[in-house]
Amino acid sequence: MDANQELLNGLLMELRRGTLVLSVLSQLQEKKYGYSLVQSLEEKGVAIDPNTLYPLLRRLQKQGLLQSNWETGGSKPRKYYRRTADGDAVYKELKNRWQEMAQSMEKLLEEGEA
Amino acid sequence: MNPNEQALMERYIYQVTRRLSKNQRKEVALELEELIGDMLESTGSMEAVLTKLGDPKVFARKYQDDRHYLIGPEYFDAYLWFLKIVLLCTAVPILLVSIIEGVQTAGTDTTQSLMAVVIKAVVNGIIDVVGSCVGAFGGITLVFAVMERQKMKFEIKKEKEWSVGDLESTAGRQNSWTPDALSPIPSKNAAISKGDSVVGIVFIVLFCVLLIFAPQLIGVYFKNGESLSSVPIFNLQQWHIILPFFVLWLFIGLADEIFKLVMGRYCKPVMISNIICGGIQMVLTVVILKMLPLWNPHFISQLQTQFGGSSAAQFFIDKWDGDFVSNCLVVFFLAVTLLEIGTTIYKTLRYGSKTQ
Repeated sequence: MDANQELLNGLLMELRRGTLVLSVLSQLQEKKYGYSLVQSLEEKGVAIDPNTLYPLLRRLQKQGLLQSNWETGGSKPRKYYRRTADGDAVYKELKNRWQEMAQSMEKLLEEGEA
Repeated sequence: MNPNEQALMERYIYQVTRRLSKNQRKEVALELEELIGDMLESTGSMEAVLTKLGDPKVFARKYQDDRHYLIGPEYFDAYLWFLKIVLLCTAVPILLVSIIEGVQTAGTDTTQSLMAVVIKAVVNGIIDVVGSCVGAFGGITLVFAVMERQKMKFEIKKEKEWSVGDLESTAGRQNSWTPDALSPIPSKNAAISKGDSVVGIVFIVLFCVLLIFAPQLIGVYFKNGESLSSVPIFNLQQWHIILPFFVLWLFIGLADEIFKLVMGRYCKPVMISNIICGGIQMVLTVVILKMLPLWNPHFISQLQTQFGGSSAAQFFIDKWDGDFVSNCLVVFFLAVTLLEIGTTIYKTLRYGSKTQ
């Protein structure tokens, strides 16, 4: 039972990992800072560990999909992220693909009803 | 945030950032400070926050690029195989040499007890073996690491060609690999067998070990009464100048062999490597044999004093001519190298692009 549980956790983690980029991109049409992104994702049922999110944000920025800037106006300096034009294009395409995939998956799962 | 919490946070941030590259550190530290501050406000306990963030080592690893290896899986098998052969070829002859030396000392030196001589020989042997194995290990690792980097540069260049524009085509992202990219199975005649390379490598390493550890053993041997003694043929006084050229010569040969083995077939890169390495080796051959004081300048006088009476020694004394030997060896090595280059060019052009 324990071994099964472990296997299940591993598989779930893999499933989730694939959706991370899409989840993050979806939330960044408007600028957000790191922790507000963690919270807004969590509220919508997509929990992501900060120690996964922060490196991911940096990577997406390096790939040119996100841009960031520090704002020092508030009580403390905050780094805000938002999608770039390239990020918009990639997000749109990814989203379409995701929807197609979800439909196909839905069909598969109906057929394979256990 | 109280001072205690502040200190804890700083420690955590330090543990993450010290594992990152210098240009990332400052930015990541600021990000983490912001994050931890935010998380603290919502949970209220610094310990809970840091526990949630988890081991700083893991956190730092996620910030780094995935590639953290010197020699990747593609080359790893060849690398291991190579290490085994070269280490074996290094360790065994060195052990033999130190045993021979031990026996020689035991035979001639009667002031020390046999036990002391044996222990000394064993200790010296082990020190030599360990030292040279470490050196061999480093050399091979260096060659493979360079190959890995070269390949990497190549791959990174390829990746950059991808652009967002690719996403807009409805056919989906074109994978850069197509079946056209499959290189044909090499013709049997173009294949480089492991056996051939092994012979080359074993020879090179053995020679290298001999030249480094026991150049005095290369010489003329005569029975002198009961014991066997010898006159070295090389100029051991100038050996520190000559040896580096020899080792370079062998190292270039080794690099060429490694490259051949990894490619596994005659093809243009192998041909180019062979031409370059062969060319350098030919130059070094001439330098070693014609320009350096390679031969023992007292060869004849030493022969005379040690084996003056023997007729076999007299033959050497009469006939020995260092310049003549040098010339013969130059011709021989140049011929062998040219022959090898010629064979490589022939096989590459004839079979290199042919399929089975």
